[in-house]
Amino acid sequence: MNVQPVLTKTPAPAFVRASSISSLPVTSRFNPTVLLIIYALLLALALGLGSAYLALKGDPPFGGVRIGPWQTWPKLGSPEADPYMRAIVAYGGDVPLATGEGLAVTARTDNEGRELDSGCSYRIGAVMPAARIWTLTLYDRDGRLPASGSARSSFTSSEIVRNTDNLFFLNLSRDLSAGNWLQLPPSGSFSLVLRLYDMAGAGGANLKAEDLPTIERLGCGS
Amino acid sequence: MSFLNRLLLATFVGVVLAAGVHIAAILTAPRYAEQDAFGRIQPTLAAEHAQIISAPGGANTWLPMPDPAAAVAACAFNLSDGPARIAAKTGALFLSFSFHTKTGGVFFAVTDRAAVRGELEIVVMTARQLDEARAGEDVNEPSRDVRIVAPESRGFMIVRVVAPTSSLHAQAQQAAEAVSCTVDEQV
Repeated sequence: MNVQPVLTKTPAPAFVRASSISSLPVTSRFNPTVLLIIYALLLALALGLGSAYLALKGDPPFGGVRIGPWQTWPKLGSPEADPYMRAIVAYGGDVPLATGEGLAVTARTDNEGRELDSGCSYRIGAVMPAARIWTLTLYDRDGRLPASGSARSSFTSSEIVRNTDNLFFLNLSRDLSAGNWLQLPPSGSFSLVLRLYDMAGAGGANLKAEDLPTIERLGCGS
Repeated sequence: MSFLNRLLLATFVGVVLAAGVHIAAILTAPRYAEQDAFGRIQPTLAAEHAQIISAPGGANTWLPMPDPAAAVAACAFNLSDGPARIAAKTGALFLSFSFHTKTGGVFFAVTDRAAVRGELEIVVMTARQLDEARAGEDVNEPSRDVRIVAPESRGFMIVRVVAPTSSLHAQAQQAAEAVSCTVDEQV
């Protein structure tokens, strides 16, 4: 019984050997298989590292919450942050606000989803969620504070002037404007970051669009 | 198998492997990042007070998108030298601590609401140091330290002090610099 398989297998190695010998002259001249393997590995490296690099430079792909024009990643500052969040934080050398400290929300678009453009003017208002102190900061396209020396680039809850109904309006434009005003950078897109320090409620889980200020585009070009 | 089919197969294999390379790169990025916050803060390990990493005004800092109203300072800790004791006197300005490790991200955060009689003091320790501290404790006189266990022995602490107006920037910076980070004697 045991002899049978051995007997049937004997021709097979001979066949393999014969075929490998017969293909040897071909491979010594041109071997597409080796080239294809190298191609596959290079493709894997280029696509894998390229996509990882793009992911590291961007926003965390998962766990984002969109509240009106504002966007936030509630788990970014918590031990439950996903691997993308951790990689992005490490790559950028960032230290995100921890969940126990407060919540940061970012806006890159206005209420209607159009990218914030420093060629336009905007009005932000009129309510803020309850927090011990909040700061609203304007950054240029590269995430830097605008280089304008004298003009401010941020407002805090203590600095902003409110009307008698405890509402506030903040104008964003390149040219001087009355009231609460932040100067936009000379060109390009910009972003706004609202930091709510010591915010009531667990990590902004209950935030609704009507709790956060709206970003209304007034007009473009001047 | 025709050459075209083999090319398609190789492309398919390449794409599948690329997914693996992508996942591996993302997972290992925190471990191998050198310009991350941990890497930049680690050289100040010996300092006994928090070192400013982003002064109010937001100028000259490596921190991306700094809050110009906040003074941000940092202390590195290495728990193999002993538990790290972080202490701050709190005042009218918002003050918060957050605790981070290189690969694990944030593991604890607290604001000055948790301060007791104007002092916020946290002791960071490893699980083993916590056991030792508990074992060596006098039953009648338990320690009042607020102890937290760090998931890794090396990490850093960030203190943020927020100035409501620009006239309080200097005060916020002083408050952040006054945070002490010392190594506890091991019992």
